[in-house]
Amino acid sequence: MTTENNHKTPSYTITCRMSHEAAALERLCQVVRIRGFRIAKMAVESSIAGADEILEIALTIQGHRPVAMLQSQLEKLHTVAEVILTAPALVPAASRRA
Amino acid sequence: MNGAQHILEAFHRHNIQTVFGYPGGCIMPLYDALVDDARVEHVLCRHEQGCALAADGYARASGKLGVCIATSGPGATNLITGVANAHRDSIPMLVITGQVPSALIGTDAFQETDVLGMTLGIVKHSYLVESADELPEILEEAMALAQTGRPGPVWVDIPKDILLAQTTAMPNSPLAQPEATCLDVGPAIAMLRAAQKPLLYSGGGISLAHAEECFREFAECSALPAVVTLKGIGNPGKHSAHNLGMLGMHGSRAANRAVDECDLLLVIGARLDDRATGKLDGFAPNAQTIHIDADAAEFNKLRSADLTVRGDLNTILGELTRALREAPLAINAWRKQCQIWRTTGGFQAADNEEPLAPITGPAFVRQLSRVAPDDTIIACDVGQHQMWVAQHYQFDHPRHHLTSGGLGTMGFGLPAAIGAKFANRKSTVINVAGDGSFMMNAQELATIRRYNLPVKLIIMDNQCLGMVRQQQELFYNNRESHINLDDNPDFVALARAFDIPALKIERTDQVRRGIETILAYNGPMLLHVAIARQENVWPIVKPGGSNKEMIDETRRLAADKKEMTA
Repeated sequence: MTTENNHKTPSYTITCRMSHEAAALERLCQVVRIRGFRIAKMAVESSIAGADEILEIALTIQGHRPVAMLQSQLEKLHTVAEVILTAPALVPAASRRA
Repeated sequence: MNGAQHILEAFHRHNIQTVFGYPGGCIMPLYDALVDDARVEHVLCRHEQGCALAADGYARASGKLGVCIATSGPGATNLITGVANAHRDSIPMLVITGQVPSALIGTDAFQETDVLGMTLGIVKHSYLVESADELPEILEEAMALAQTGRPGPVWVDIPKDILLAQTTAMPNSPLAQPEATCLDVGPAIAMLRAAQKPLLYSGGGISLAHAEECFREFAECSALPAVVTLKGIGNPGKHSAHNLGMLGMHGSRAANRAVDECDLLLVIGARLDDRATGKLDGFAPNAQTIHIDADAAEFNKLRSADLTVRGDLNTILGELTRALREAPLAINAWRKQCQIWRTTGGFQAADNEEPLAPITGPAFVRQLSRVAPDDTIIACDVGQHQMWVAQHYQFDHPRHHLTSGGLGTMGFGLPAAIGAKFANRKSTVINVAGDGSFMMNAQELATIRRYNLPVKLIIMDNQCLGMVRQQQELFYNNRESHINLDDNPDFVALARAFDIPALKIERTDQVRRGIETILAYNGPMLLHVAIARQENVWPIVKPGGSNKEMIDETRRLAADKKEMTA
């Protein structure tokens, strides 16, 4: 879903590694939402690391709040092992003119 | 052992002797196991919200883990407000609920709710146990997690079949303690030395970290002028010469003035909550900020810090004290200025000495503070009385002041007082409630009676929802809307119905005797205090306004007069 408003909203990509347990994805999504971001794209893969099942999640998120705040909240989650913030995605040219 | 017995074993391993709960269908295996276990004292409250808030009060008063237990469905949903309350104030709590049998999850079974899903936002972490073998390890992890780093509630939802299933599994090693980081306090000391007008700003994080003594030592050694948040009340102690009191919406004029004028804010164990800061743009406009906390996620959340230090507050405060002891701060002019503000802008309203005059909230609380023993624990509810206690009661320790800070939960005080009494049998425990708040968990009078707890109950009754009425008066053109409670029950008769003696006072000359009577009585007793309906909490900052724009009674009256003469 793309709207004019989305074009003006800063966009970021976050990759997150966390334990695959009950409600893992819901927990992650809940934090993203309550901390002021919306998920534009989400890709999830599960893998086995030793005795543990791990989720690798790539999120494209949009929001006006400082993304570092979201990162630190996600890092607090007990089952999250790592959160990597990649460089913000380029804002589309059309919105920069707007 | 079955799953239920493993829970009790986990309690024993962690020296958990008191739990608060309410039985029901899916948690019955645990209650069955309790029959054969005399080592755990189970306190039966009369509503699951009472269980959660009592566990919260127990944890706040003792510094230990609070534990509450309920069944699935309505049992679990009734816990939610209490657990959210603990979450917002970072209270260490273990929540155990029964769930419908594993095979029935997702079938809309009787008393099934998606507890894990509906509680994600109000817990530090949560588990739905999927096999009996993982239960011992989950319990171990949950108890450690609730108490380490920034504490909080951890919820373990256990299907009934797992409570009944046998397992020989044992827990592994306890959770690793989070590593302390950035303990170099050199930059903080350098900033303190460079500042002309540094101010110490402390919150509830001090007692959460069990750092009360280290904080007191630092506050005394540094002699920094100090302000506290609602949850930080008691940190500096009632004899501290440098304490300017609570800041924020109902803070002292002295505290808010000092924040406004300081050039360095040393924030320790506080999260710069909106009730404390008011409008952020106008908050401490001339100050650099050093923010010290156990939780890195609090840094730069609402106000950018010039320096952050994350780690164990005991260690950090110890380092700061050592550094300042070697060379004290040279800020005498600033200290002197703050002393002047303390004298002229503290909470020092004159008591009405007229014997037949109606009782005022602040005067009542000041009298209570004078008469109650030093080790008294006050469990407040939420509303005007809560602010009068915060403003006018002289607390000497933060664990003596139990208040619902983050969530502002009406009905907190009575069950929290029950929890506090179980945590500390020797201390005097008083629930100070408003008439609105008291009725939110009045059923817990039955718990007090059942255990014959000598909890003292004070209802400051203005026959309305006073804080809402006050804001309607001040900010909604005095358009009162659904705040009238003049059909309250007869509180004295209500208490007596629970076999709790009670008395009512309504005049100034009855205050001291009333307080002394309930304190002297050997058992629970209720004091019904009639106060004026129109009384307000002063000062006040308009919600969303700047702390600089405090309104006090004098200014309000002057504005009214100007309006009348215009």
